[in-house]
Amino acid sequence: MGFSVALSPGNLLYAFLGSAFGTLIGVLPGIGPAAGTALLIPLTARLPPTGAIIMLTAIFYGTQYGGTITSILLNVPGEAASAITCIDGHKMALKGRAGAALSIAAIGSFIGGLFATIALVFLAGPLTKVALEFGPVEFFALMVLGISLLMGLAGKSMVKALMMGILGLILAMVGMDPVRGAPRFTFGRMELMDGLNFVPVIMGLFGLADILENAEESLSSTVSAKVGSLMPSKQEIKDSVGPIARGSVLGTVLGLIPGMTGSMASFLSYSTEKKASKHPEKFGQGAIEGVAGPETANNAHANGALIPLFTLGIPASPTVAVLMGAFLMNGLIPGPFLFREQPELVWGVIASFFVGNVILLVLNLPLVGVWVKMLKIPYSILFAVILAFMVIGAYGAESSIFDVFIMLLFGILGYALKKFDFPLAPMILTLILGPTMERSLRRSMEMSQGDFSILFASPLAATLLVISLVVLVSSALKVFPGTGKGKSDSGSVGK
Amino acid sequence: MILSSLRMRVTVLAAACMLLAAVSAGAQAFPAKNKAITLIVGFSAGGSSDAGARILASGMEKVLGAKVEVLNKPGASGQIGYTMLSQAKPNGYTIGLASLPGIMVSIMDADRKAAYKKDSFQPIGLQVLDAGVLAVKADSPYQSIKDLIEDAKARPRKITVSTTGLQTGDHFSILQLQKLTGAEFAIVHFDGAGTAMTSLLGKKIDAYVGNVGDVLSQLKSGDIRILGVMDTQESPFMPGVKTFESQGISLLGGSWRGYLAPAGTPKAIVDKLSAAMKTALETEEVKSSMAKLGLQIRYMNAEEYTKIWDEYGTVVKELIPLSKNK
Repeated sequence: MGFSVALSPGNLLYAFLGSAFGTLIGVLPGIGPAAGTALLIPLTARLPPTGAIIMLTAIFYGTQYGGTITSILLNVPGEAASAITCIDGHKMALKGRAGAALSIAAIGSFIGGLFATIALVFLAGPLTKVALEFGPVEFFALMVLGISLLMGLAGKSMVKALMMGILGLILAMVGMDPVRGAPRFTFGRMELMDGLNFVPVIMGLFGLADILENAEESLSSTVSAKVGSLMPSKQEIKDSVGPIARGSVLGTVLGLIPGMTGSMASFLSYSTEKKASKHPEKFGQGAIEGVAGPETANNAHANGALIPLFTLGIPASPTVAVLMGAFLMNGLIPGPFLFREQPELVWGVIASFFVGNVILLVLNLPLVGVWVKMLKIPYSILFAVILAFMVIGAYGAESSIFDVFIMLLFGILGYALKKFDFPLAPMILTLILGPTMERSLRRSMEMSQGDFSILFASPLAATLLVISLVVLVSSALKVFPGTGKGKSDSGSVGK
Repeated sequence: MILSSLRMRVTVLAAACMLLAAVSAGAQAFPAKNKAITLIVGFSAGGSSDAGARILASGMEKVLGAKVEVLNKPGASGQIGYTMLSQAKPNGYTIGLASLPGIMVSIMDADRKAAYKKDSFQPIGLQVLDAGVLAVKADSPYQSIKDLIEDAKARPRKITVSTTGLQTGDHFSILQLQKLTGAEFAIVHFDGAGTAMTSLLGKKIDAYVGNVGDVLSQLKSGDIRILGVMDTQESPFMPGVKTFESQGISLLGGSWRGYLAPAGTPKAIVDKLSAAMKTALETEEVKSSMAKLGLQIRYMNAEEYTKIWDEYGTVVKELIPLSKNK
């Protein structure tokens, strides 16, 4: 039933626009997917909810396609998730096989995206059946589990991740207390009564902070390699089948786990392919497998990461958190209820993933030249244009100048935190999950009139809480002895 | 001397006449051509308050022959919009939507630090009454309000009842019900009708208080039973469902949505706006679009609207301390 929604002319247009913007963000090295999605939220503010979500999700998975282009042609990753593609992709470009690399990457991305979407369709059905099992108590336990997973897998420093997570929870408390009706942290400002507005906060934290950081270096873009024939050779196709299949599964599975990023998926896929290959020495010299696997995996991850969002309401990565914010802005609460309450919207959006992936395939292959030309815009001009757009966007969401200042404030905060190497992801995730978590807990307390045992009275909630405890303890044990093994090199792939 | 005093009298009279003419001309000329009327809605676009306001705006446009533009200023449960309205020029070109009891609560609750009082506004008229309902799941043992109240008295603070939010009309209705009957519930605040209804359907809570417009689809599908409507008359959207009054409890509750102008707006202009509102609400187009949204039209002129405000205000005022001190 979703396709009738996804294929309506308006929604086709939104999917197309989203795919195009997504590719553009992917191509431009300065702006990551979280920032890009955040920047474009104001554009969708006037659209009907279905159109807005279709466009924003298309932007989200579209960035994964665009990032490949610069990795292969320029040896500059447009996105962290495409960084690993530089190794063999650019080597192929130097050998005159850029076109083939791009084709294989686009086809792999397409298959990976489809695979993850099909997984979503199959997993969503059973989950909607248990929707009614989730009351306030179970929701609280689910949020605890989500946050524990995110913290446990935070990577480099768990202490810093916890600090940022708590900062996010504090920021989430700004506004009217949901039970007593007393204002909290509002400093007498009426604008803060409803809490911090999400759009200016993330536009600042991701968009502005990213731009400030990039403005430090003088990025000069030079388009080097020629694209050449888009047609891969028979041998290249044959070599790509395995990596694409493995990449699809790997990316989708990692997408399901909160805290796993797209760059981890592409990195793991690369090392898997290298191990699986009969001639690992070719890796680094322009092996097609080194393009096909990671590019498939990062797209499968992008679509796979939407599975926990749609079915449980848990954003698995910062970009998905931004998307979740967009859902909430449109009055939609992602999670098991969404399928019950808004089946047309959800299935329409899911159907649009299939449509969007087809559009992206078309956009990317024949139009590679157009995207490459975009890179010739000098950064000084590009940044100024984006900044102007951000100010308008922050103002436009609620016609409020206060929000513009919020954006600037969080931009500076985000920049400072980046400089001191604090991860922004845990903060944005708890900022998004905080209000739901607090409300669920306090609702549970209202139900039991203050008796905490209600949290363990429900078998479902108790199970979720026990799993959270196991996750937190096991990751704390892994991180604190400092064996160094837990610190994967994924952190360095981004840069 | 006599002559000059006579001349002065004539001058005064002439001046008075001119002033009168100017005033009535002002009202007649309202709304001036190509000048738009701004309608401030303190809620986000797309909600049911906004939807009702937009239907009325397009209806009034046709009656007045001037543009009526809706300006959404969401935030702080409408308070940002109300503040803006109270500070607008009182010339009839800025009016605003007001939701009762929300606007009263923002004035009466000192914590909200509202920059306006009731006197800051001049009522124009009431458009919508979305009456409150008390619902239970279809397989619940409670068949009437009496059943529920008796059980709540036998097991105080054990029966859970949901609201769609803190200090909403629903919340005050439950507090009023407790006051009238002496029963005590465990009140659970949700955010919006959707999450509260899901919890009712999932048997996480025992009873649900919300508005007629929010429960129509679940009533139709047979998932819930409405124990009572908090109005003096049956709801046209759920014929046959008893009111609280007919079950011996005089409880009025729900959302009243009307329109206000800043205080000091000339009476002639207010009357003109109120009349235009009445005419617009009687057109088939407006009636059918509002019925589609489950919004019950209840027109009241400025005086009747003020009266409701005052009556409901006294009820709410006593309950405000209870609403904060749980």
